[in-house]
Amino acid sequence: MLPIASGAEVRAYLRRLIRAHPRMLALVVVLHVSAAVAGLVTPRLLGDLVEKTSAGTTTATVDRVALTITGVIVVVSVLVRYARLASARLGEQVLATLREEFVDRVLAVPPSTVERAGTGDLLTRASRDVEGTSSTVRFALPEVIVGVLQVLLTLGAVALLSPLLLLPALIAVPVLWSSSVWYFRRAPAGYLASSAAFAQLTDGLAETVEGARTVDVLRLRRRRVRRTQAHLRGVYGTNMYTLKLRTVFFPLTEFGYVLPGVVTLVAGGWYVMEGWATVGQVTAAVLYFVALIDPLDRVLSWFDQLQVGLASLARIVGVQSVPVPAADAPPAFTDERIVARGVRFSYVDGRDVLHGVDLEIRPGERLAVVGPSGAGKSTLGRLLAGIYTPGDGAVTVGGVPLADLPLASLRQHVALVTQEHHVFLGTVRDNLVLARPSASVAELRRALATVDALDWVDALPDGLDTVLGEPPLSPAQAQQLALARLVLADPHTLVLDEATSLIDPRAARHLERSLAGALEGRTVIAIAHRLFSAHDADRVAVVEDGRITELGSHDELVAAGGAYAALWRSWHGTDRQPTASP
Amino acid sequence: MKRLPLDDPGEPDSRTAGRYLLWVLRSQLPTILPGIALGIVWMVSQALVPAALGAGVDALTAHDRTALLGAGGALLGLGIITAISGIMRHRFAVTNFLGAGFRTVQVTARHATHLGATLPKKVAAGEVVSIGTTDFDHVGYSMDVSARTGGAVVAIIVVAVLLLDVSVPLGLVVVIGVPLLVGVVGLLIKPLHQRRRAQRELAGALTGRAADIVSGLRILRGVGGEDVVSARYRTESQQVRAAGVRVAKVETLLEGAQVLLPGLFVALVTWLGARFAVAGKITPGELVAFYAYAAFLVGPLRTLTEFAEKLTRGLVAAGRVITLLGVEPELRDPADPAAATAGDLADPGSGFVAGSGRFTAIAATRPEDAAAIADRIGLLDPASEALLLGVPLRTLKIDDVRSHIVVADNDDRLFRGRLGDELGARPAAVLAALDAAAALDIVAALPDGLDTEIAERGRDFSGGQQQRLRLARVLALDPPVLVLVEPTSAVDTHTEALIARNLPTVRTGRTTVVCTTSPLLLDRADTVAFVDVTGRVAASGTHRSLLDSCPAYAATVTREDDA
Repeated sequence: MLPIASGAEVRAYLRRLIRAHPRMLALVVVLHVSAAVAGLVTPRLLGDLVEKTSAGTTTATVDRVALTITGVIVVVSVLVRYARLASARLGEQVLATLREEFVDRVLAVPPSTVERAGTGDLLTRASRDVEGTSSTVRFALPEVIVGVLQVLLTLGAVALLSPLLLLPALIAVPVLWSSSVWYFRRAPAGYLASSAAFAQLTDGLAETVEGARTVDVLRLRRRRVRRTQAHLRGVYGTNMYTLKLRTVFFPLTEFGYVLPGVVTLVAGGWYVMEGWATVGQVTAAVLYFVALIDPLDRVLSWFDQLQVGLASLARIVGVQSVPVPAADAPPAFTDERIVARGVRFSYVDGRDVLHGVDLEIRPGERLAVVGPSGAGKSTLGRLLAGIYTPGDGAVTVGGVPLADLPLASLRQHVALVTQEHHVFLGTVRDNLVLARPSASVAELRRALATVDALDWVDALPDGLDTVLGEPPLSPAQAQQLALARLVLADPHTLVLDEATSLIDPRAARHLERSLAGALEGRTVIAIAHRLFSAHDADRVAVVEDGRITELGSHDELVAAGGAYAALWRSWHGTDRQPTASP
Repeated sequence: MKRLPLDDPGEPDSRTAGRYLLWVLRSQLPTILPGIALGIVWMVSQALVPAALGAGVDALTAHDRTALLGAGGALLGLGIITAISGIMRHRFAVTNFLGAGFRTVQVTARHATHLGATLPKKVAAGEVVSIGTTDFDHVGYSMDVSARTGGAVVAIIVVAVLLLDVSVPLGLVVVIGVPLLVGVVGLLIKPLHQRRRAQRELAGALTGRAADIVSGLRILRGVGGEDVVSARYRTESQQVRAAGVRVAKVETLLEGAQVLLPGLFVALVTWLGARFAVAGKITPGELVAFYAYAAFLVGPLRTLTEFAEKLTRGLVAAGRVITLLGVEPELRDPADPAAATAGDLADPGSGFVAGSGRFTAIAATRPEDAAAIADRIGLLDPASEALLLGVPLRTLKIDDVRSHIVVADNDDRLFRGRLGDELGARPAAVLAALDAAAALDIVAALPDGLDTEIAERGRDFSGGQQQRLRLARVLALDPPVLVLVEPTSAVDTHTEALIARNLPTVRTGRTTVVCTTSPLLLDRADTVAFVDVTGRVAASGTHRSLLDSCPAYAATVTREDDA
């Protein structure tokens, strides 16, 4: 798992982002305060009007007050508009910086961290959390801050009328406070559970559809329907829980909203009759308390969104604390020879996967690594490609440990090719230039030709500039693009980890030709699970139980009559000697 | 209220989108009617507040303590009624929302599984999934808003009557002015929706870009290109920001208008009211009441526009649902199905015959030919002419064929859930199957063994592990006829040798067909049918005899053409 930021870290991070735009921030504050203050004038004017009409006044006075009210309303609406626009600009700015810094950090995370953490967690952060954060930063955060500001200013306005009129409303504070505390302690977890239940439902539906053939063939219909049913029950259960919370919270807060106005009216009436306040003051105070409902309600209804959003934010900011190696100048090399000496490695302390492997790769050779699943072949491959650092011993290139090389320099030496292929959103060209941003069209075409992919790329509607995606490339074509990328990156050594294994055997043969093109002129370490690739190699290393048990050419190993020879014979299904030789 | 989801959602009326929504409405009537009733109480109790407020202000000016207390009591009572009816109404609304959505998901999921292998050919996965998300919401909201609209209509009528009763001209200003206001604000909503949609699309694309970067991160870190990708992301992120600001420009204009227009209207009402009050036509309390009525009416009128909007969306969603419900499966049960019996399985198209109880392999020069034969003898190809003991498969009930013949290929999926359940119902059979598929080590390495929850597509497993687990799943099912397409293409040679050794034993007495070019598997088959480039069986025999007698076969399985 990747780290999650603490509340203090999130606040510090947000403060830094917001303070990077001091002028925008100042504008936002000034506009919002002015809008809120101007908004408080109307109830006061209305109070005056009631006061004056009840005391008896002229039509001219009424006209004058009405005109003033109209003027104030125009000013308030203009202020509200620009205040909100200013905070939208600031919010969008902060949000853009937030996601851009996140992506830059993701792009700097060391390969070994990516390998270990898996992409699932990071994928959730990049999609769901970034989206969740955006409505929080854009809406929840400003709504809550502005709402609190309005509430405080409105209370201030009542106090300006008469501090005495503030007293009766205090009765609502315990009602609102205690119900809010009760609710917000439970709500975020409840809403998270409910959206998780919804996500399960959609994931389940997606599975049913994508696996439709399997469902049909294996007669899993009832099971899929039962599963949907179970997911719906999950959605129902979690929604009933949050509904229960609201059933307590909503009536209490609504009661809390009404209370100040009612109490102020009755108590105010008493004040008026005692001569402590005028009719106008009381009317204005009642109207203020009615006007208070809207900002108060906005604060409370955005608050759980804010809590949920802050949890997302913590996961995004958390990625910032993944240590990133500093880029050093590459050291000097003597040659391109990759050597492993006494290499040990463990994923879990005390459980070595490799027990002291020694291996010297000869420049330009083809080395096949074979052995049973779980023997440590892939781990060895990742160590030789510099993705993992040995726990003990060292893997060196030209005498320099791979672990000491900056990534940019490591890539010039060795690359790992796995069965994982990924076509990036964008055009064919976008996909290729990643490996060499300066590549010319001629170079791109040469790389495609090398992997036997130029024909189909030329057949695309816009050639190199065709946007990929619909219809999707076949896995074989995707793998060819990946190989063309490698040709452009041009490392002297390649580690192939079952590079073609998941490809449909129908396409695998064609792909092997592409692979041969990409391997041309490079040192190749092939982790093979099909013996025919081993048979073509210069040397074969047999890995069993974390050790290299046999090492030599195909013919030597067959002649030696060990584990490899036995397998070769059984694979061929004959005791005959193989007819083909490299 | 009944617990949801219901066991049986019922048979939908899927002739038109409108009929579908009506069907949902009728099915939900027992919770929709109380929802409407409570909605009326809720709205009317709010509509009466201005009257009580006005009475209070009048009592204030008249220094009438009793009347003041009465007005205060009325306000408090109305507040309590609003709060209680509000939450009750909300509870029914949630039930209606969920009930409608659940019903929609249930009939969709039921139909999707009914379509089986036809589904991916005719419907994009995204369409079904969107029924579980956006269409769920829109069908649900259309029910919820229908219940609320009832309350809004009654409240508007009540307020209109009260206003006209006090003062006809002032009442008319309010009754005509407020709908006008809502209409004007509604005009602004359209451009806002358009910009929001544009911004959402950009933001969605940006999220896609970020997900793309993360998915390809291992590759990026391997071959480079971080700067290029970062620059691309930054450009798109700035586009999203700019689009966000464009939305905000209209959005804040709307917010400003929502302050300005009702504000001006209230000012107008207040001005007229005050003049009436000065002329003695109404009391100061009634002036305050008018002010409050004008402010209140905006709410129920918005519900009416919301109703129009949500109903439209609900109809669009229902349209998508009935489109899916209208997709017919490619294969249908025959009217008069024949009885299935065990026996030889033949594919006249290629001349392939799988002997009953025997282990037959298909080695094809072009592997797609072998897969096509597998689809025909498994009745996955609707044009299949395959015969089971001389009886065409298409004359049998589909379920009989499926329970008799199982075709497993590499497009099959592992599903989320407990691994043990995923592999089969009988634990003993599951263990034996795992052993035969050389997959016991995979389970042994899991923290909770067979109780481990597996991720969707089994993506926590490597390609080879998934293939072995899928093999174990069909072996545990133990069907009379099992057709395996390239069952070991992703496993290493050692493991393949183990599986090849185990397969004939675990399938003893059952019919097994394996499409493969692996010598390890071919060597274990009773008979190998060699399918050449014509797509027809060119030679049959044991692996060894074919190696000697048929050079084209030898070339196919030892792959000398590529060496």
